[in-house]
Amino acid sequence: MNDKELLMWLEKATSGDESAFQLVYQATHQDIYRTVAFLVFNKQDIEDIVNEVYVGMWRSFHAYDPNRPFRYWLHGITVRQVQDWKRKAWRRIRLFERNRQMTCEQYEWTDKAVLQSEMQHELSSHVLKLSYKLRVVVILRYFHDYALEEIADLLQIPVGTVKSRNHLALKQLRKRFEMMGGDAYVH
Amino acid sequence: MSIDKELREELRQAADSMHCPPDLYGRVRQSYQHYLNEKRGRAPMKKRMIAGIVAVAILIPSTVFAASYLADDIFGSSATIEQHGGTQEDYQEIDGMLQAAKGKLTEDEFKEYSELTKQLMQLKLKITDENGVAHEEELSKEEQQQFEQIASKLAPYFEKINGAAKP
Repeated sequence: MNDKELLMWLEKATSGDESAFQLVYQATHQDIYRTVAFLVFNKQDIEDIVNEVYVGMWRSFHAYDPNRPFRYWLHGITVRQVQDWKRKAWRRIRLFERNRQMTCEQYEWTDKAVLQSEMQHELSSHVLKLSYKLRVVVILRYFHDYALEEIADLLQIPVGTVKSRNHLALKQLRKRFEMMGGDAYVH
Repeated sequence: MSIDKELREELRQAADSMHCPPDLYGRVRQSYQHYLNEKRGRAPMKKRMIAGIVAVAILIPSTVFAASYLADDIFGSSATIEQHGGTQEDYQEIDGMLQAAKGKLTEDEFKEYSELTKQLMQLKLKITDENGVAHEEELSKEEQQQFEQIASKLAPYFEKINGAAKP
């Protein structure tokens, strides 16, 4: 399904065509789910965010600029939803500071472990250990193949910041990989 | 192998091993239907909003007029006395008197009182020139009689209003 078809289906879906909605879902759900799963680790949270991405998709469809690739628009919504969720989670954490220390971290850690055992990939497991700010840049750059300028636009941060985060992420990955006894990467 | 290439490769493999749980479809579909219902419900909502705005637009001016001067009943508007040398402040003063009367008198009494005042004021306006100077000699005999009649009828009301004001 190309962009044009997808847009047509999405337009039909927003005006109430349920079979069109089904097609849009089939064409997009894996991409959205994987993107979110790289950024957030709790299974329940991932599902909540994916759901919100779809809601955001048909709510802001009227604002879609047809000159831009559909995927780019979709990833913009996805990243925004993840960041909204992070902000909300942070507020929740502040309110229940003590609870967080008791339960939240442990929860996150087990989920991470599950994900890691699922993957069995050395380098990508190190990616998951990066801080969110570095990780989101790595995912957009190496999983979705976006240019630095596009990432800056998606994340609403300066290009220079994207560059330095990308650089820092690679530096940390190299270091961690070496520490684990893996082969050293050349630049 | 460069780290860029390796990263791309590994992330793709990692992504392939991640699967969106099938039961998520039901949930997304539910919120999709919720969105549709909301969208359909929005059209009558819009109509209701417009009806509300129109109602308010009609009500506001009418309440403004209702809250305007009692003296309008007698003079029509403040422009009437301004033509005879009165000012906006005079008008408000007269209105203040009428307001006081309304408070002191019963409804029927007030009706009678304002009707008489209206007649009296019309006569007075007739003999008052642009500078606010009265020329009583301009009244005809009949009109003079009428004037006195009204004045005598009004007298008890004045007593009542002023009497209650200064017991």
